[in-house]
Amino acid sequence: MPFVLTQPPPAAALGVFLPNSPLAIVIVLSLVVGLLMVLLFGYTSNQKAIKVAKDQLKAHLLAVRLYQDQLPVVLRTYGRIILGTGRYIRLAFMPLLYVIIPITLLIVQVDRYLGSVPMQTAQPFLVTVQTAPDTLNGVSLQLPAEMSISAPAVHVPADNEVVWRVVAQKDGEYDINVLSGGQTYSKTVVVAGDVSRLSPERMRDRFWERIFVSGEPALPDSSPIESIAVTYLPRNINFAWLEWNWIVLFFVLSMVAGFIFKEVLGIEI
Amino acid sequence: MKRSVGWCGAAAFVRQLRSRVAGRSACATPVLVLLLLVVVLFPLPGHAYAGPGAGFAVLSSFWTLFVAFLYSLYALLTWPFRHLLRTMKRRKAYGKAQFKRAVILGFDGMDPELAERFMGEGKLPNLAKLREQGTFRKLRTTFPAISPVAWSTFMTGVNPGKHNIYDFLARDLSTYLPFLSSAEIKGPKRHWKIGKYSIPVGKTNIKGMRKGTPFWHWLGKSGIFCSVIRVPVTFPPEKFPGVLLSGMCVPDLKGSQGTFCFCTTRSSGDKFREGGVRIAMERDGSVCRSYIPGPEDPLAEGSGHELRVDFELRPDPDRNQARMEVDSQKFTLKVGEYSEWIPVKFKAALGMGAHGICRFYLKQIAPEVEVYVTPVNIDPGRPDLPISHPVTYSIYLAKLFGPYATLGLAEDTWALNEEVLDDDAFLAQAYGNHEDRERMLFDALEKTQKGLCACVFDTTDRVQHMFWRYLDDDHPAARNVPRDQRPNIIQELYQRMDGLIGRVMQQIDDDTLLMVVSDHGFKSFARCVNLNAWLHQNGYLALKDGKTESGDWFEDVDWSRTRAYTMGLNGLYLNVKGRERQGIVEPSAAETLKDELRTKLNGLADPASGRIGITGVFDCDAVYAGPYVDNAPDLIVGYGDGFRASWDSVMGKVTEKIFEDNLKAWSGDHCIDPRLVPGVLFCNRKIAEEKPAIVDVAPTILKLFGLGLPAHFDGKPWTVASSGA
Repeated sequence: MPFVLTQPPPAAALGVFLPNSPLAIVIVLSLVVGLLMVLLFGYTSNQKAIKVAKDQLKAHLLAVRLYQDQLPVVLRTYGRIILGTGRYIRLAFMPLLYVIIPITLLIVQVDRYLGSVPMQTAQPFLVTVQTAPDTLNGVSLQLPAEMSISAPAVHVPADNEVVWRVVAQKDGEYDINVLSGGQTYSKTVVVAGDVSRLSPERMRDRFWERIFVSGEPALPDSSPIESIAVTYLPRNINFAWLEWNWIVLFFVLSMVAGFIFKEVLGIEI
Repeated sequence: MKRSVGWCGAAAFVRQLRSRVAGRSACATPVLVLLLLVVVLFPLPGHAYAGPGAGFAVLSSFWTLFVAFLYSLYALLTWPFRHLLRTMKRRKAYGKAQFKRAVILGFDGMDPELAERFMGEGKLPNLAKLREQGTFRKLRTTFPAISPVAWSTFMTGVNPGKHNIYDFLARDLSTYLPFLSSAEIKGPKRHWKIGKYSIPVGKTNIKGMRKGTPFWHWLGKSGIFCSVIRVPVTFPPEKFPGVLLSGMCVPDLKGSQGTFCFCTTRSSGDKFREGGVRIAMERDGSVCRSYIPGPEDPLAEGSGHELRVDFELRPDPDRNQARMEVDSQKFTLKVGEYSEWIPVKFKAALGMGAHGICRFYLKQIAPEVEVYVTPVNIDPGRPDLPISHPVTYSIYLAKLFGPYATLGLAEDTWALNEEVLDDDAFLAQAYGNHEDRERMLFDALEKTQKGLCACVFDTTDRVQHMFWRYLDDDHPAARNVPRDQRPNIIQELYQRMDGLIGRVMQQIDDDTLLMVVSDHGFKSFARCVNLNAWLHQNGYLALKDGKTESGDWFEDVDWSRTRAYTMGLNGLYLNVKGRERQGIVEPSAAETLKDELRTKLNGLADPASGRIGITGVFDCDAVYAGPYVDNAPDLIVGYGDGFRASWDSVMGKVTEKIFEDNLKAWSGDHCIDPRLVPGVLFCNRKIAEEKPAIVDVAPTILKLFGLGLPAHFDGKPWTVASSGA
């Protein structure tokens, strides 16, 4: 039975307009998110209070300079700077409450495309299966024809884990099957050179953990298999003569975009 | 060589989230709360980043703390050295000081007779307390009793002959036209012509015309810190070791001493005599459009082309309000309400422009739309001209308290005079400014625990100028207001100032000297005296043939036959040969002419009532001494109680009538015989002198801080008791 489901469409889920380049995706995403966040910040924050808080902080900073020879004044002003900073942070974090969940989910979703690189052909990778106690010995791995086991399975009873080293011979999106107790449990593995949606782990139960970690349906509740994981390598993006993790780059670029858009839109941040 | 900055990769991010939520899927709420807490409490970008919202907060607050930390580090590391330097430089700055701090509150125009009356009625408990525990005296003022003159003497300790300020205005000897006596502002000398543009090269030159050294400079040099707020004639601000915010004489953005703007849909060809411009407002369906005129375009030198800021107004008669849009700022204004200070930018080409602030007052929206706009003040948060020392002080105050009026004469008396504003609108404006100053004062008091804190409040002067008519029994400007309907505005003003003193007294300790001074008192201004008319009718001033009146600024005056003229508030000038460009009076005959004028004018009576309109005419050689006496008027005219120079006479206009009623709201004044309008001196310590003068304040303060007195001082230090009663 062939295990190849489809040829993975690069970045398809991110939209047809996005080029198939991690850097381009991060730049476009940063610009869009930067703009949306500034707009959202403007609408959801108390702009007047933020301006007052920022102005007062600036005033206290100027006071330190103006009255620098008067130590009591300087010390009092430091106290006000700390209090003012707290007030500012509180005001600036209010919009965060509106966006934290959608943005977190967005980051999790994007991370499935940009966080790791797919397996490469002829590159060994590990398949780790965690089972319920006492079921370790009944677990076996069934691979598609384009993949092969390159070393004997390693059983780690202390962790209820069994680990295989696997090698793929051809690009594609495959299902690997784990057999236990007469049941088969599959896990998707992507072998490709492009941006693809990756799910490093398929797991049972643990709803919230699955939201953040897994891009696949949960394993059945009755399954003796706790999780099936493969080790994708983290992706680095070359930008400005440096290698960046995409979240860090997204952070920097969206901040820059945000600071530009706030000037254009006249929004106090 | 590439370097990885992905210290916390996506996988790590996911793993951390995973570890935080592992095993807790049964309950979503605690996880969400935890997630929020994690983000809020550990806002590191790599693992808690949730978009720019969080990032802005993290970066901005981090930046603030980082700058504060750098400042702290710098201040702490350098403090011992600075302290050592200061100690060496100042050597016992406070060693001989009688007090560690002196607080001087200047209440411009507070009148001793009114203060005494209200104290007697029990209305001013704090001033009464000062009087009982310390001192209350009349404070002799300057010749003439005009604020810029008196405050210049207050700060320099010298007579006007040494500080060169004799009036708001001085005259140009070649043109007989006036110019501002306190400061001269000139644009850059050079311009580059490029196409249609004339690009200014170099800086605007601002020259202070007041001479002499303010006493806080002496204190500062000796290591005594000074906070000086809104003392008149401190523009342009001079460098000294302390902080100073300039007061009276700071111009508006147009360079004038205050030009309001009245935008209206009502068609009227009338122009305001002074102080304001009427701008047509165009209706376009439900929208009204107009503009605020600004400074001259710096790129069109000499063309007279003004920059402007357009604004729109959408009346909403149902709610008695209007929606306004100015420079992309939108706000709603109810009828009879002021806006906050609105920042405006007058844009010229090539990215040049000027920053200002103004307030809008919606006077009415039906049947006509009328909007009053205050003079456009220099924006204290982004000053295009220096209005403080250091420059950052005005910015500091703006950041701390928000925008505030910076114009020297910030209370728009002209708008009330011209009936653009009514009494309530004027008072709202004046007290709004006053509250800003109070905030500045209390901040200065907190910051200046040792040294000098001096703050002048103009409100007392402006409100008395504009509302004396309700105090006077028979003022021409209030004859239509029944006595029982006259508001107690001036009494309330004094009570408000008394309340301020009470709050200041709560802030000071036993080692602080508190002094309340005014530069002059007040009297009614019911009758106008056109001295130019008198000079004309008595053969001292001649008009061109066939003219019976002149225009403003001596238009149609025949200088070849004119021996004397007047402009400004109290100065009388001879047309001296070799001094004035068209002078005819031989210098040798000047003394005789002065004596003749003094004799004739002294005791000049108002034919309508028989009251004396001029009670004294003073020879400048007798009242002034110093290097700048040549710039003084030849004679100082002292008007009697109830009289003052007429509005026309001040502007160099010759009319047919010598005496006439003053029908304007500006109904009280002090530009009269200085002997009739002394100021006040309150102090929380006993002062021995029976007849103190404003010129004595500077030497007294220097003496109290143990400093020697400069030889050129005219004032004499008072003997002040070290402890209160």
